[in-house]
Amino acid sequence: MPRDPQFSSQGKTLFVDLERRETHSAYTPLGVTRTLLGGRGANMYYLYRLLDETLTPLDPNIPMIFGSGLLTGLVPSAARGNLTSWSPESGVLLDANAGDYFPSFLRMNGFDHIVLYGRAPQWTLIVIREGVVSLEDAAPYVGMDNIDMREAIARDLGGTWKRNLAMANITRAGENGVLTAGVMAGPKAIYARGGPGAKMGSLRLKGIVTIAQTHEFETSQPYKPFNRVIAQKLLGTSVVKNALSKTGTPFLYKPSRLLGAMGTKNNQETTWTDALDAERFDPYRPGMEGCFRCPVNCRPLNDLHKATPDKYDQGDGPEYVTLGKFGPNLGIDSVESVIRLNNICNDLGLDTASTGSALGWAFELFQRGIITTADTGGIQLHWGDAATVAQLLFMTAAREGFGNVLADSTRAIEKGHYPAEARKYCIAVKGLGQSDPHDARILKAFALGLAVATRGMDHLRNRVTLEINARINDNPAFKTELYGGPVSAEPTSYVDKERAVRVCEDIYAVGDSVGMCRFTTKLFNSPSLPGIEEFRDQLSNVTGLEFTNQELEQCGLNVMGVERLINHRLGVRRKDDTLPDRWFDEPNPSGPYKGEKIDRQEFDAMLTRFYEISRLTSEGVPEESWRKELVGALGA
Amino acid sequence: MITVNFPAVLHDVAGPSIVVRESVSTVGQLIAALDRLKPGLAKELDDPLYNIAVNDEILLHAVDSRTVKDGDIVEVIPSMAGG
Repeated sequence: MPRDPQFSSQGKTLFVDLERRETHSAYTPLGVTRTLLGGRGANMYYLYRLLDETLTPLDPNIPMIFGSGLLTGLVPSAARGNLTSWSPESGVLLDANAGDYFPSFLRMNGFDHIVLYGRAPQWTLIVIREGVVSLEDAAPYVGMDNIDMREAIARDLGGTWKRNLAMANITRAGENGVLTAGVMAGPKAIYARGGPGAKMGSLRLKGIVTIAQTHEFETSQPYKPFNRVIAQKLLGTSVVKNALSKTGTPFLYKPSRLLGAMGTKNNQETTWTDALDAERFDPYRPGMEGCFRCPVNCRPLNDLHKATPDKYDQGDGPEYVTLGKFGPNLGIDSVESVIRLNNICNDLGLDTASTGSALGWAFELFQRGIITTADTGGIQLHWGDAATVAQLLFMTAAREGFGNVLADSTRAIEKGHYPAEARKYCIAVKGLGQSDPHDARILKAFALGLAVATRGMDHLRNRVTLEINARINDNPAFKTELYGGPVSAEPTSYVDKERAVRVCEDIYAVGDSVGMCRFTTKLFNSPSLPGIEEFRDQLSNVTGLEFTNQELEQCGLNVMGVERLINHRLGVRRKDDTLPDRWFDEPNPSGPYKGEKIDRQEFDAMLTRFYEISRLTSEGVPEESWRKELVGALGA
Repeated sequence: MITVNFPAVLHDVAGPSIVVRESVSTVGQLIAALDRLKPGLAKELDDPLYNIAVNDEILLHAVDSRTVKDGDIVEVIPSMAGG
């Protein structure tokens, strides 16, 4: 690997052997950057090269890779980074994304990526102070959850959150190998999906702390003037101005429930009470927060206004996913309960998507008598019982009693906790519980996206959100321009939906690889947000690397291609690009699209078309000529 | 008479609700009538952020031609994605 930077603003890749307590660094090769960009894309290069699929995900020789995007920390709303490995939860690719300050502050210390491997002899804290790396004793922090650890680190190491101090850390859940444990990157920000907390815990790494003054980067060309253009574009977009920066993502709850697309009681039902509409959260929202140098400030803070508040009566969030997973998904109809459960999850370091999925699954199994109090240690699992849910969260983090079952997430059958018949009620794809609460039986582009997402059942990889946008559906010329060809206006149609998923998957992969937030990337929330053109121009200014629009889109496709090559090595095949049986077999029970479900033949034909336009074989891996190009670029 | 309810983000321009007494038979005509009552409102509503629901049925396509009748409750609903 190169010993010198390959382009302006490039940071080093830090390799840390935790077992031998050795570090060294190098730079990502230029050919890799031109093929996969940085962040998520370059993470795939490292995983592809270092993955030994004869091992198991928690083996210390399976690396865990942090990566910040090429524009992370420099461009408004580009505050994101990815964490990549082999998922102990799903058994396929682990790739989680987070914002807040850590990905940007990592770059302020001169590092774009960190590759971690080996099991530390004792619990370890990596401290990176002004670019100098030290491995320190983490014993004082073992057993701490997020709130206490953030307080202790700021006290012990100095520095100020959001000014010069950032951290990625695990909680007790990660220490205990809970498969729904994330890696916290702030009070709420979390590398969530796929069990990264369990992976980090298996390396005996409690946290990575960065301390450095923020600064500007030496770039190829001045980039601040174009930052102003991007910021104006962000703040001038209606969804940012009128929704994200005022209320945050809970706005989506109402359209979902009216549509009959709100996953309720583990998707047995599809609509829920108006008591959880976004405006019901208004009295509990004292303000909004944001990530590093992001002008949007889309994160709602919360305050339950208790006379003597405990540490879960105030906090950060919830986002729409948490609202859905801990509201309708569990039959809970109280705003205060959802907020409190959100705050508990933030402290315990639990991915609300996977944890909510595991809970919903268990509650339905209990409802059906497939499990009983003999399995739960005497605990009754009744929909809407928020107090029991809170109790189960603490038990999960500690792997106590029935919490040990929930901690094994989608692997509960394989671990012998549930009988095989429980599989039918598991709302997951490729071993990963659904990220958001959206029941996609109606919306065929949403459904295809969830089926083909490389990390499992997750909407943030490729969701064609504008499929629920009437203004765009009713403007076929504009819609054709957005997706490079016609896409049916009817949500329930299968016609050409593969095209929209393909375009979204490409642009989102590019967004992740430059570090842009999904919420503010073109096509996720609006057709007018920054996209390929803005990324191209700012990449030129910052890195000096010139890309055409087509080349950048190809980078997005390449990221997906390498992810599929990795998944293929882990045993993923066409049969795994599918959906929960419930969506094929059970008609949607409510709303204007009552009776709608996924037709197996239509879905299969749509999947075939998706493979064809994605240059994938019938088993869902890059076709031969492209595979050779990718493998050559990876130097493998 | 059709009642149109607006989300908080539109209260500055439309207030919480407007009652349309003019005779209209489609959503397209309803929006034109709203614009006559509050000039500029149609332009505000021509925004990908907003969807329209009629009697709690959210409309995802063919909105302008959707029929409405006396007594209907119409609502403007911000729609977006989340994480």
